[in-house]
This record gives sequence, C-alpha cells and structure tokens, in this order.
Amino acid sequence: MPAQFSWKHGVRVVLAMGFADFMLKYRGSVLGFLWSFIIPIVKFLVIYHVFQPFIQGVEHYQLYLFLGLILWEHFSLMTTACMSMLHEKAAIVQKVAFPRMLLILSVGWTHTLILLSYFVIFLCIALAMGIEPTWGLLYVPLIFVQATLLGLSVGMILSCYSLKFADLQHLWSVLLQVIFWLTPIIYPYTPKAPLAADFANLFSGSLQLSFWSLFDIFIRFQPLSILLHDARRAILYPSTVGVPSLIHAVGFSVICLLLFVACAILFRKRSRYFIQEY
Amino acid sequence: MRHSAVSCTGIHKQFTKHVFPSSMLQDRILRWRRHRKRWSHTALQNVSLSVGQGEWVGLYGPNGCGKTTLLRILAGLLPEDSGHVSITGKLSCFFELGVGFHPEKSAVENIYMHGLLHGVDPSVIRSQTDEIIERAGVASHRDLPIKCYSSGMKMRLAFITTMRTESDIYFLDEVFAVGDLEFQQICREELRLLKARGKTAILVLHELKELRETCDRIVFLEKGAISGEEIILPVTKSL
Repeated sequence: MPAQFSWKHGVRVVLAMGFADFMLKYRGSVLGFLWSFIIPIVKFLVIYHVFQPFIQGVEHYQLYLFLGLILWEHFSLMTTACMSMLHEKAAIVQKVAFPRMLLILSVGWTHTLILLSYFVIFLCIALAMGIEPTWGLLYVPLIFVQATLLGLSVGMILSCYSLKFADLQHLWSVLLQVIFWLTPIIYPYTPKAPLAADFANLFSGSLQLSFWSLFDIFIRFQPLSILLHDARRAILYPSTVGVPSLIHAVGFSVICLLLFVACAILFRKRSRYFIQEY
Repeated sequence: MRHSAVSCTGIHKQFTKHVFPSSMLQDRILRWRRHRKRWSHTALQNVSLSVGQGEWVGLYGPNGCGKTTLLRILAGLLPEDSGHVSITGKLSCFFELGVGFHPEKSAVENIYMHGLLHGVDPSVIRSQTDEIIERAGVASHRDLPIKCYSSGMKMRLAFITTMRTESDIYFLDEVFAVGDLEFQQICREELRLLKARGKTAILVLHELKELRETCDRIVFLEKGAISGEEIILPVTKSL
C-alpha cells in the first residue's frame, strides 16, 4: 500500500468517510436521522410488551431492556456493515491503493456516532424516570470503546471471508439470532461471583457438563454478556450492584484490545487477496 | 542516466479459481474438504521492468495479456507470487475515472473524498477545487449532486480531478480520450502539463498511435510476458 497514508492521513480518511456515510444514510428522508431510532424503539416496545409480565425482580426493567437493546444493535449493525462493506465499496477496493483497514475503522466511527445518539436518548429517558446521574457515568466511554472493539473484531473476521464464502451473510444472520437469545438482553443476568472467581469455579471439579449447561456457560462468559452487565451496573445500579472494579475494567479492556489486534492482523494479511476473490 | 522510479524483477502471477460458481461455507463445514477441481491461469511470467524518473512508459498488448495485472501488482493492489517491486516516490493509480465518486454527493464533496483516498492533503484539495470545477466545465452544476450531471460532465470532472491529484508517479489504465473532440484536446493538454512537470507515468492504452505520441517508450506484452520494446524518438512525439 502507498507510503503516503500516514497515521494522520488515515485518521482524516476514516473521519471523512465515516461521517459522509452517516450523512448520506439519512440525507433527503423526511425524518432524517430520527429514522435510525425506529428499529430499537419498535423492538423495545414489542419485547417490553411481551416479556414484561414474566420478568420479576429487575429494577427499572424498561431501562435495563433499552440499554441492552442499544448495545446489541450497535454490535449487530456494526458486524453486518463490516461484512457487506467489501461488496458496497467494491469499486474503491478494486481500484484504489489504500489501507483497507480504514474501511473497517470508518464503519466503527459511523456506528459509534449512532450509538452515541442512542445513548443520549437513553439518558434523557433515564433522567425522566428519576435515575440520578452518578460517577458511574464516567465508565460509559470505556463501554463505548469496548463495544466498538468487540464489534469491529467480529466484523473484521466476517469481512475477511465475506468474498470467499458467498453464504456468509446468510449464516451470520442466523447466528445473530442465536447470539441475541444467548445474550442477557431481555432476561436478568446475575453472576454468582466476581467474573474471574466464577470462571475459576468452572474448573474446580464440581462442574457437571451437559448440553444445556454449555448454553449457561456461554451466556455467563461471552463478552457481550459481560459488556451489558458492566454497562447496567455502572449506569443503572451503581449503588446496589456497584460499578466494575478497576482490575475488571482494565482486564476486560485488554481482552477486547488483544482480540481487536489479532483480528486486525488477520484482516491485514487477508486484505492482499481481496481483489482476487471478487 | 535516470534513477529508477518504478522497477520490478521476475514478477510471476498465477490466478487460481474454483470451477464451482461460488464457495459456500456451509459446504466446507459439511464436506470437511475443499473442492478439488480448480482452474489456473498464468497472468504474468518473469516480467521485469524499470521506469526512470520523469519517464513515460506505455504498456501495449491484446486483451488478457496481463497489462492491468502488472499495474495492479506494481500499485500494491495485488500480491505477486514471486518477484520484487520497488517504488520510489508518491504513487497514484487510476484504473477507472471517478472511482469513489458518489452520485448523491456534489462535485466539491466528491473531489474532496477522491483526493483523500489518493493520499492528498486536505488543504491542497481545497485550494484546487475551484480550478478543477472550472476546468471541467461543470461550474453551473457546482452545488448539485453529480447524479444530475450528463455522463460527459461526469467524465470531464473525473478526468480533471485525476490529473490534478498531486503525486510523483502515475499509473493510468485506459483513462483518456473521454468526451467530445474538444475535451479530448483538453485531455492531451493536461497530459502534456503533467509530463512537463517531470512526473513519471505508466500508461495502458489500446491506441498504439496515442501511446507513441504520449510516451517515451512502449513495452509490448503478450501472454503474460514482455515480447518487445520500442523507444519513441522525440521527432515522432507530440507531447
């Protein structure tokens, strides 16, 4: 790739491309940017109406559900956008020499802007419902970073193979449905112990593995569950459950970052062959 | 003796495709093995080329002889199977006019994004924008999205934007002779200006006459290998 793409110029391209995509998405529509709220709000209303009678003992369940939904939407939209990016930007990818990683980062930037706007709406509703702002809100930027790193990591793997395997989009849409139900968005998530201790207990000898227990283990330890739990306790339950500890915050951030770096290395390696796979 | 701006030695490239229409992940999971039936095509074999600084080299050959593949490898868009590529200076490659132009964006927005993608500094792009619009003859449509332009206007805008992209080395693949006779004259003038500024270029064209008028040297490709070379004497050139 050309040497003229300095780190500084790369940031310029990411910001300009991501912002242009964000503006183009809603340019000319009657409701403009407000359209982006339709999906999470409709989902929220339907799920809340159906599941609310069955959910017991969750304080501020409306906010619990809405926060879960907006973080899920961020993950699912970002991974899908990364996967379809090489098809949508085929002309550029095939004919302009620039680091392909910039396309992935521009997707991340566009969806971070959308997440930010979702979060502003969420905060307004939370304040209207009497949730008092606490220091836990300072944890939110870290949640944004972790969520974006996770989404982009999965998105990069999908993007790498989206040209090679024609059915990947279909399979991912099925898998997204499975992950949606295996993530505590709608139902309560109550860890029995701090995460590391809980994970260590798995190997303490008392574990009885069955097919269904594998689902439970996945729900307990998959990164989205941890992310959602951290977001909820930092924003909704800072006084009752408590904000995540510093060790937990650093540890989980490092895991997200390592995952991102590993996926970025794979993406960079595979990106040399994208043109041949069109 | 000119210093080499672009050089490659022993470039070999082979394309391999599955004979099946597409590769399915579900198929890979269920069968646990790959489709074995493949088709291979050698696009380039042992190609070596050196282009001096300020030199203009034309690549000429029939369709499928490997001209675009060679340019793509030199540009870093495709990996070579073997061989070595060396580029000295800032490179811009143009395999099609107006790549990255979005129909919903205005000329100013498209020029800006085009420049960014080719590594041009934003301040340089802004300083050139008015001149590009004027030179392309689209000033009357300045604020309209380019979907409102005629195809000739789009081509003119794309060509002038390409020519004003600041670089040291240009790879130009079939991007000339667009529009009417008057604009073709402008195209030649733009190329003349580019060459007068001492830029290096590799051109791919199907018009041998045009290449002879434009380039210092023509390299002939056939079946993925260099089959000949022609040095153009200054007396035969118009540029």
